[in-house]
Amino acid sequence: MTRPSNFPPPFRASDHVSEPADPEDERIEVGILIVGAGPAGLACAIRLGQLLEESPDVAERLGEVPVALVEKGKQPGSHLLSGAVVDPRALRRLFGDRVRLEDIPSYGPVHGEAVYLLTKRAALRIPPPPPMRNHGNWIFSLSQLGRFLAEKAEEGGAMILPETAAETLLVSHGRVVGIRTGEKGRGRDGEHLGNYEPGADLVARVTVLAEGTQGHLSGVAIDRFGLAGDDPQVWELGVKEVWKVAKPLRHVVHTMGWPLRLGTKYREFGGSFVYPMGDDMVTIGMVVGLDYRDAELSVHDLLQELKTHPKIRKILEGGERVGWGAKTIPSGGLHSLPSRLHAPGLLLCGDGAGMVNIPRLKGVHYAIESGRLAAEAAFRAVQRGETPATALGSYDEAVRESFIWDDLHEVRNMRQVFGRGFFVGGALASAMTVSKGRIELGKMRAEPDADQPLLRTDRAASYPAADGKLTFDKLSSVFASGNRTRDDQPNHIRIEERVPRDVAELWARMCPAQVYEVGADAGDGTVEVRVAPSNCVQCGAITAKGGRLTPPEGGSGPEYTLT
Amino acid sequence: MGILVFLEHHGDELQKGSLGVLAKAASLGDDVAAVLVGAGVTALAAEAGRFGAGKVWLCEDDSLDPPTPQPRVDVLAQVVADGGYDTVLFANSVLAADVAAGLSARLDAGLNWDLADVESRDGDLVGKRPALQDSVYVDVGWTSAPRLALFRAGSFDAVPGGGGAPEVAEVSPSFAEHSRGARVVDQQLEESSGPSIEDADIVVAGGRGLGQAESFTLAEELAKALGGAVGATRAVVDAGWYPYAAQIGQTGKTVSPKLYVALGISGAIQHKVGMQSSNAIVSINKDANAPIFEFSDLGVVGDVHEIVPKLTELIRARKS
Repeated sequence: MTRPSNFPPPFRASDHVSEPADPEDERIEVGILIVGAGPAGLACAIRLGQLLEESPDVAERLGEVPVALVEKGKQPGSHLLSGAVVDPRALRRLFGDRVRLEDIPSYGPVHGEAVYLLTKRAALRIPPPPPMRNHGNWIFSLSQLGRFLAEKAEEGGAMILPETAAETLLVSHGRVVGIRTGEKGRGRDGEHLGNYEPGADLVARVTVLAEGTQGHLSGVAIDRFGLAGDDPQVWELGVKEVWKVAKPLRHVVHTMGWPLRLGTKYREFGGSFVYPMGDDMVTIGMVVGLDYRDAELSVHDLLQELKTHPKIRKILEGGERVGWGAKTIPSGGLHSLPSRLHAPGLLLCGDGAGMVNIPRLKGVHYAIESGRLAAEAAFRAVQRGETPATALGSYDEAVRESFIWDDLHEVRNMRQVFGRGFFVGGALASAMTVSKGRIELGKMRAEPDADQPLLRTDRAASYPAADGKLTFDKLSSVFASGNRTRDDQPNHIRIEERVPRDVAELWARMCPAQVYEVGADAGDGTVEVRVAPSNCVQCGAITAKGGRLTPPEGGSGPEYTLT
Repeated sequence: MGILVFLEHHGDELQKGSLGVLAKAASLGDDVAAVLVGAGVTALAAEAGRFGAGKVWLCEDDSLDPPTPQPRVDVLAQVVADGGYDTVLFANSVLAADVAAGLSARLDAGLNWDLADVESRDGDLVGKRPALQDSVYVDVGWTSAPRLALFRAGSFDAVPGGGGAPEVAEVSPSFAEHSRGARVVDQQLEESSGPSIEDADIVVAGGRGLGQAESFTLAEELAKALGGAVGATRAVVDAGWYPYAAQIGQTGKTVSPKLYVALGISGAIQHKVGMQSSNAIVSINKDANAPIFEFSDLGVVGDVHEIVPKLTELIRARKS
């Protein structure tokens, strides 16, 4: 049977680890370096700002730039995408009485909810399963929230460097000492263009990786320091759109079932969400586990199909699509977390470490909380008289004592049971929920997404044709993401370019941004895979399904604003 | 009060883009002047008059022949001061963008960037800037004078307004020391046989539907017969069938010719935004459902390999 993992990409994590390369006087020295301006990294920067304000002597010792944050997107928020119904407790803890929840840009608290089991034409309303109850949670655009948090981080003294990719982990004498930024201005074949800029060494006393899902250096660090968890990480792929609508949606909607198939052999785990964003916008998304097996499955097209359901179409009627985006979500849960969240000189937080509660569809508040805890550990590590190793180790303890760990422990097997099919999985999941996770089913193993054997069922035949109003083709979606990446930069996606047709088609269908195309038959049972890297919105699905995403030139990729 | 337009020239020819901006400026008010900097510009003053400049400021100086921005900032700052202009307009180019940015910093003046149009409303200027991937126009203004604006390539047609001989004034600015610090080491012209795709009145563009790189000769032959330039879609540039310089679209060039002929182009929105302002769009595509037919003035469903050679033949016969 064909499995994508039989065709590994030409990628070695060790190629992305090096000693600092710049001469000592040319290195950029900062105090604490954070990689990634998402909720985790920004919360970390904000908390550090609070702590350093209270201890100006420490700030002074950290030099001219006590806290720096690199972000690969055009600006903070450009690469942020989430549902997002957020449990606000982490934001409250982060800001205390400095910022009221009401003063953070949001679409207010959830007013009610409905869960439907869909068939092709009907919708059966079912009581919300306990983990999906959202009373007390707030609706955000994560991209907007990111821009707001970035302002707060800068007010607190952090220096944010956008359009800067973190390409290489700098390790010296077994300790992480910073990162090297990506080069800019190379042509397609790697040649220097007129605007070529080499990368630069950014060295720091503590490096916090808050890269989000499929974090490039997080993966490199997990490999370099042997931090892999008990289980491999697995992911889901979420594709979502933002719509301006004619009539307001009052409550949050989740759906299960159609257009996904319930049979065990397909392994199609997932569902959809529709959330109101004020009175005149809604966001609608489809999330599917990347352990699916059908080579023709396309989450982008399933979302298009979903919108043709009478129940959903009614919500969007008379509206207009104003945004689109896609991103993977780590879904392995507790067993897939790294064995340790720290290494010498290094801390891992948020989605990059896999802190997501899939049954509750929540992760933003874990990202914020872990960023806050990472800030406290990093701050301890730079105190006089502290042993940095012990101080950074205290981060692991703090995470284990936090609500992050309690929550993830409660649902630790829930994602895995859905590998047993929707109904059996659903029953087991309910049992776990009712028992608050005390029921022991034995540990269930997760298999890497790329190990799933492929099957063919002519799945693509049901996808609707794009009409440009309700349903869209992938290239229009890429356009709506704001992506205008320079076409002549080197390919940042590592894949085996000669693979069996099934694998090539898997990638072509899977990718929501039309990066892969099935090329010419090589005559030996394989085909060529053609890659259009500038379409890439860096969702990370390719890494889950047998390739490896690396960061392109800083500033590339989508420019999300509403997602 | 008055409008000053920065004119760019290559050799003895004024750039069409900046003449378009000049013509637009002339339609907005009477007091319109142009400024010309470099070697051999005196001879170009009359031409500027034909496009609506009532006055032409000349800075004739051989040492300014190389296209360095900083000395031009000095010249413009001087002219704005001497002539009392409250508006300075530029047509986007590598040089003009640098000069506009420099002048903005020098005069502490607001610069509206990437405008597609400008109009006079209740005695005030209002610029139009495309936003949200060109799906809407945003009205933009200025909160102080002088007002600076840089227009997108192809925003206006360069139509002579039939003005008379302009008043000519010499300007001899004092150059800041740093202005003369940069020098041009080398200039190379990109070889191309026909007109550049941004300047051409007729563009024949080829897409994936041509099937193979060799089929681009179809587009080239048709372009030659029509006297136009050849463009390409991203897909074929990606595939290596045609050079990047010919790429039209979101991440390539934006063109607005009088006639745009699309051969085997599906019309993805990334391509559309680079050519949608063409006056007439003619498409030939096998796929009757191709999105390009939704914004074509004339759509032909058929095989480019059959139709284009015959079309080329007919045009040649008609022309001879």
